[in-house]
Amino acid sequence: MKFSKLAGLSAAAVIVVSACGGGASPSGGATVKIGVDLPLSGGELPNGEPTLNGIKLAVKQANDAGGVNGYTIELSVQDDAVNGVHDPQQGAKNVTTLAADPEVIAMVGPYNSNVGLAEVPVTNEAGLLQCSPANTNPGITKPDYGALDVRKAHPDKINYVRVATTDDIQGPAGAQYAYNDLGARNALIIDDTETFGKGVADEFEKEFKSLGGKIADRVGAPKSTTDYTSILTAAKSKNPDVVYFGGVTTTGGGTLRKQMEQAGMGDLPYVGPDGIVDGSGATDGSFINIAGAAAANAYGTIAAIHDIPDPTAFSDAYKAEYNKDPGAYSAPAYGCTQVILDALKNVTKTSDMAALREAIRAYVTGGNTFDTALGTVGFDENGDTTQHIISFYKTDMTAADGAGDWVFTKQQDFGN
Amino acid sequence: MDIPTITQQLFNALTLGAIYALIALGYTMVYGIIELINFAHGDVFMVGAFVAMWMMTIPLGLTGAVNDPVQIALILIPVLLVTMVVMGIVGILIERFAYRPLRSAPRLAPLITAVGVSFILQNIIQAIFGPSPRNVPQVISFTNRFDVLGAHISYLSVLILGLTIFLIIALQLFIGRTSLGRAMRSTAQDREAAALMGVDINRTIAATFFIGSALAGTAGLVHGLYYGSIIFNLGFFAGLKAFTAAVLGGIGNTTGAALGGFLIGFVEVGAAALGYSRWSEALIFAVLVIVLVFRPAGLLGQQVGERA
Repeated sequence: MKFSKLAGLSAAAVIVVSACGGGASPSGGATVKIGVDLPLSGGELPNGEPTLNGIKLAVKQANDAGGVNGYTIELSVQDDAVNGVHDPQQGAKNVTTLAADPEVIAMVGPYNSNVGLAEVPVTNEAGLLQCSPANTNPGITKPDYGALDVRKAHPDKINYVRVATTDDIQGPAGAQYAYNDLGARNALIIDDTETFGKGVADEFEKEFKSLGGKIADRVGAPKSTTDYTSILTAAKSKNPDVVYFGGVTTTGGGTLRKQMEQAGMGDLPYVGPDGIVDGSGATDGSFINIAGAAAANAYGTIAAIHDIPDPTAFSDAYKAEYNKDPGAYSAPAYGCTQVILDALKNVTKTSDMAALREAIRAYVTGGNTFDTALGTVGFDENGDTTQHIISFYKTDMTAADGAGDWVFTKQQDFGN
Repeated sequence: MDIPTITQQLFNALTLGAIYALIALGYTMVYGIIELINFAHGDVFMVGAFVAMWMMTIPLGLTGAVNDPVQIALILIPVLLVTMVVMGIVGILIERFAYRPLRSAPRLAPLITAVGVSFILQNIIQAIFGPSPRNVPQVISFTNRFDVLGAHISYLSVLILGLTIFLIIALQLFIGRTSLGRAMRSTAQDREAAALMGVDINRTIAATFFIGSALAGTAGLVHGLYYGSIIFNLGFFAGLKAFTAAVLGGIGNTTGAALGGFLIGFVEVGAAALGYSRWSEALIFAVLVIVLVFRPAGLLGQQVGERA
């Protein structure tokens, strides 16, 4: 079910942000735009805003340094949240708008995998390079997961790359953590029935079984679910020793954890993917804020590198600009923008915007490597990052002055 | 499934059903009296949940469970009464400004304003409380419970059930035994004839909105206490399910709405209990279709003269 009533309204809410720094624009410099599509309203603002800030920071630094290759960079920012929740149809509309703007040479986004699945057919047709900081569903890129249908228009001309690694790595990483680190043997798996949530839960289930674990039960709970107690009551008699949630906070992650206490399962460890690692308990609407005291003993994975090569340089610059700590996907968004800016620097300067767009697409997907805040990043033949790193977090209820926060525990390179 | 699990699920279903029943009553009362599907009613429920949450967190400064039963009563009774009165007034205002001017307009017009009111309420709440889910202090701890047939029944679900049944009976008595109730029934039967007999139509319809919205506010309070989090678009699905409950029971019929609410609760929990939670929405509407095929007027039908 879509909350599509407001679609028309938010389509109108297109903001063009001039990211010009104080420096004079380069002499004779043309202006090019980088498109952005993220969920920027509703319950997902805690996700979208720090991600957008990462992009803005990279663009501001480039403009302050006198632009790139003689170009001044602007952003064209689109919001894909409708009625407070990311919406694939709105995403498709937004990328149609971006693709139709000749000055848009490439774009960063989206945040959510089901939005990505709806957008790639449009951008593939238009030959617009898209770099997602956060998408993890393998179906967007990998032919084995049906990606050739997604990039049907030009299956050979890859136009979608991402710096986050995929759920066929994130799901199994969660399973290994639950099995090896938490010692769980009987998992209850609940997913939110969406592209991302169900996909990552499927991968968790496969790996947990192959490690020798049992699946107590596997259930789906659509995001409109408010009553998880009946699902938990049904599963309780099967004695699970861990609960894995495939989904994000806005599709029920925090509410489910809270109601586990109610159903007498509050002492079970709770593992989830990146969608629940979303800020401290002091942030209204974050996983820890919703779950309250029940958030203790929860573990989350992030499909990206945590120990970036020079963490202080990035977070200091971010803090100086926005006066807060970066979010989980601020650095990946910054990295995505760096990839596009690096390509812009290396391609031949031209006033033919269509040629410039294609040159950037070809450069990024042409086997080049990029020196970014995330380290050296390259993209394989499907556009997936060659960096297969998962970071692990757990809740610490004494952090953030007692409000509770996610703390980093370890990161692991899952190689190739 | 063993006996404790079945008993537990029975109480889960009764609690969820009670919330749907409270919302469905408002739908059915408004339909009964002015034949309007009040699409904003789900959002009235949502606003009620936020009003109750605000009172508990800001003026009362609560963050979690309270242990002393006397203190719980001293918190919840005023919160309940204020929520009911505030939401009742909201209901009257909605009727006064969005529906009354269109009372003689074609039936589609108030339906559209109802959708408009729904958006206005959602946007007001979003502007005040933000777009994220909000945590509700669960004043009555779930550790306060007793065991029945091996199932853990929290006092909160007993309280919700008792309150709902009390309100349903009180409503029946009110409609059946009081002069305002008689005015409602006569207005529902024939508005013009009622007016000729000296019934103040505007006052009667306003009273209907007051009661329906106060019940929705009650549902909002107990929803927050029981499920622990609320969000500004909560009313959309809850309203849709409660509307289904009202149609299922026979729209316009208050007993039917209460019955329909509990039935929807049982379908939803039943789906989850059997492992089909993925299909719960489809199942609810499938039940609606099946019932309407065999009983087009709903389970109890529209008892003309009883509806209000």
